[in-house]
Amino acid sequence: MRISLPQVLDQAAERYPDKEAVRCNGKALTYAELQRRADALACLLQQQGVRRGDRVGMFMNKDLESAVTVYGIMKAGGAYVPLDPFAPVSRLNFVIQDCGIKVLVTKPNKLPQVKEMVAETNLTTVIGIEPQANLGVQCITWDSVVNAPPTARPNIHVIEQDLAYILYTSGSTGTPKGIMHTHRSALSFAEWAADEYGLTSEDRVSNHAPFHFDLSTFDMYATAIAGGTTVIIPEFVTKFPASLSKLLQDERITVSYSVPFALIQMMERGVLESRDLSALRWVLFAGEVFPTKHLRRLMQMLPHARFSNLYGPTETNVCTFYHVNEIPQTDEPIPIGIPCANEEMLVVDADDNPVPPGEVGELLVRGGTVMRGYWGRPDLNEKGFYRRQVFGFYEDVFYRTGDLVQLLPDGNYKYLGRKDRQVKTRGYRVELDEVEVALLSHEGVQEAAVYTVPDGEGSNLIEAAVIPKEGVELTPAMLARHANTKLPHYAVPVTIHVMRDFPRTSTGKINRRELQALSMKNGASV
Amino acid sequence: MNTVEILKQYIKEELMNGAGGDLDVNENLLASGIIDSLGVLRLVSFVEERFNIEVPDEDVTLDNFQSIQAITDYLTQLQSA
Repeated sequence: MRISLPQVLDQAAERYPDKEAVRCNGKALTYAELQRRADALACLLQQQGVRRGDRVGMFMNKDLESAVTVYGIMKAGGAYVPLDPFAPVSRLNFVIQDCGIKVLVTKPNKLPQVKEMVAETNLTTVIGIEPQANLGVQCITWDSVVNAPPTARPNIHVIEQDLAYILYTSGSTGTPKGIMHTHRSALSFAEWAADEYGLTSEDRVSNHAPFHFDLSTFDMYATAIAGGTTVIIPEFVTKFPASLSKLLQDERITVSYSVPFALIQMMERGVLESRDLSALRWVLFAGEVFPTKHLRRLMQMLPHARFSNLYGPTETNVCTFYHVNEIPQTDEPIPIGIPCANEEMLVVDADDNPVPPGEVGELLVRGGTVMRGYWGRPDLNEKGFYRRQVFGFYEDVFYRTGDLVQLLPDGNYKYLGRKDRQVKTRGYRVELDEVEVALLSHEGVQEAAVYTVPDGEGSNLIEAAVIPKEGVELTPAMLARHANTKLPHYAVPVTIHVMRDFPRTSTGKINRRELQALSMKNGASV
Repeated sequence: MNTVEILKQYIKEELMNGAGGDLDVNENLLASGIIDSLGVLRLVSFVEERFNIEVPDEDVTLDNFQSIQAITDYLTQLQSA
C-alpha cells in the first residue's frame, strides 16, 4: 500500500537499487543514489525548519537535481512549488508570497533572479547558492546534499491527505492561482497511468513538460512506480525539433508524453524519417486538442507506436483517456474518451441539472485525482466545485471543469470547447473553437487561433490568426472565403492575420490572450 | 559588419526587444530565456535570409544555435563545405 510519493521512490530503491531512476544531459542517478540524495536534502530542509505542509519553492532549469528536489522536499514533509525558470521574477515573487514560501531550492546559475526574490519576498533560506553571495539570508550549497553521510534519513510522518505539491496556473483574471494536490490525488493518477500504459522497469519515459506543468507528474511518479527510467529533457532541447527527435532516438525512449504542439513541431521539422524511433511504444498527449489531420500523419510516420489522448484540467490531473487504436479516416476531432478508474463524470446544464445522455453540457468530475482546492482562494473554491447532496446530510464534491462535452453513443466523451470560449458577437452566440475547426479544415492551414477583441460598443469582434503550412501562400481573403463556406456569416472572423508562428505559453499552448493583446495594440496604433 | 556583429544586433534588437546589455558570444541564448520556440524559428529564417543560405531541418539543433559563437561556427562550416 502506498500513501505518499516519496514512498514510491523508497520502494523502487529497495527493488531496483542499481537501476537508473533519472537521466539528464548524459548523466544519471540510480534509484539508490536518488534516494540517498533526496534523504539528505530532506534532512537539511528539516534542519532549516521545514515541517509538514510547508511550501518549499523549486527554481531551476531541468536537471538531475530536479528529481532530487521534488522528492527531498516531500520527504521533509513539505509541498513542492515549482517556479517556472523562465517566468518574469515579479510573477514568481507573487507566487512565493501567495503561498508563503520561506525556503527555496535553486542552482547557482539562478543567482541574479534569486537576488531579486530575496529582496522582494520573505524568503529565509536558499539552498543551492554559495554563502559568499551575501544575500542576507541563510545560503547552503548543493555540496552538503551530495556529500551527506548515507545514513541520514529524514524523520517524516506524512499521510496521503497531506499536500504534495502546488502548481500555479494563470487565472482568468490574470492572477496566478495555486492548484493544491495531495499525495493521494497525485498517486491516484500515477497508479492508474502506470497500470493503464503497462509501464515496467524496462521503460524509458521522456519528461518533456516543465515541472510546473502537471504532465511532469506522470513522467516522474508513474515511471518510478514501475521502477523505470525517467529521461528528463532539458528545456533547450525541446525548442529544437531535430535535437528532440535525436534525443528520443539516442535515449531509446519507449513512452513519450507531451503537448500536441511538440509532436507537430517534431513532425514538421524534426527529420523523423532519418531517426530510428523503433523503441517508442506509447505516444501520449494532453493539454490541448490534437488536430486530427496532424495526428493522422504522425501515426502514419510511427506505425509501430500506440497513441493515447489524455484529458483533464490540472485540477483533476487526468480524468478521461482515449486510445487512438486506428488511424482516423476523417478530420473529425478525436474524443477525450472514457473516465479513468475511480472517476465519476456528470454533464450538467447552466442550472447544474444533469442533461440527458448525448446532450451538450459542462463536465463535472469527482474522483481520486481531483485537487484539494486552490491555495488561499475561498472564492474560487466556492465557485469551482459543485456539491451534490446525498441523503440530505452529506455531499459529493465535483470539480467544475468549465469544459463543454457530450456523451457519444459508444460511451466516449467528446470535447466541444471551453464554456467560457462561448462568446456573443453582435448578439449572436459563437463557439470560438468551432471557428478554429473551420479554419483548420482549409488544406493550407497549419494552425489556427481564434479570439475576440472588443468592438468598442460593448460586444466582441471575432479575429483569427493562422499559420500556413510550409511553402503555402495564404491571404486573409482566401481564408475568409473558406470560413464563409463553413460558418454562419456572423461567426466568420472580421480580421484574419497570417503569421509565421504564434506566441506560446511556457507550456507550449497557443497564447490566445497574447494574440488578442497584440491585435488590440496594433489596432489602436493604426 | 562581421557575422558576430550582425547576429548580436539582430538578437538584441529583434529577439530581446532592445533589453540586455552586452551579449557575450558564448552566452547560452536559451539558458537565459532570450529565445523560445518562436525565437528559434525567427533566428533561423533571419540567418537564412541575411546570409543567403538554406539551413536544413536537421541542422536546426541546439549545438548549432545555442550561442552566437555556435551559429558563427556553423556558418563558417557551411560556407567552407
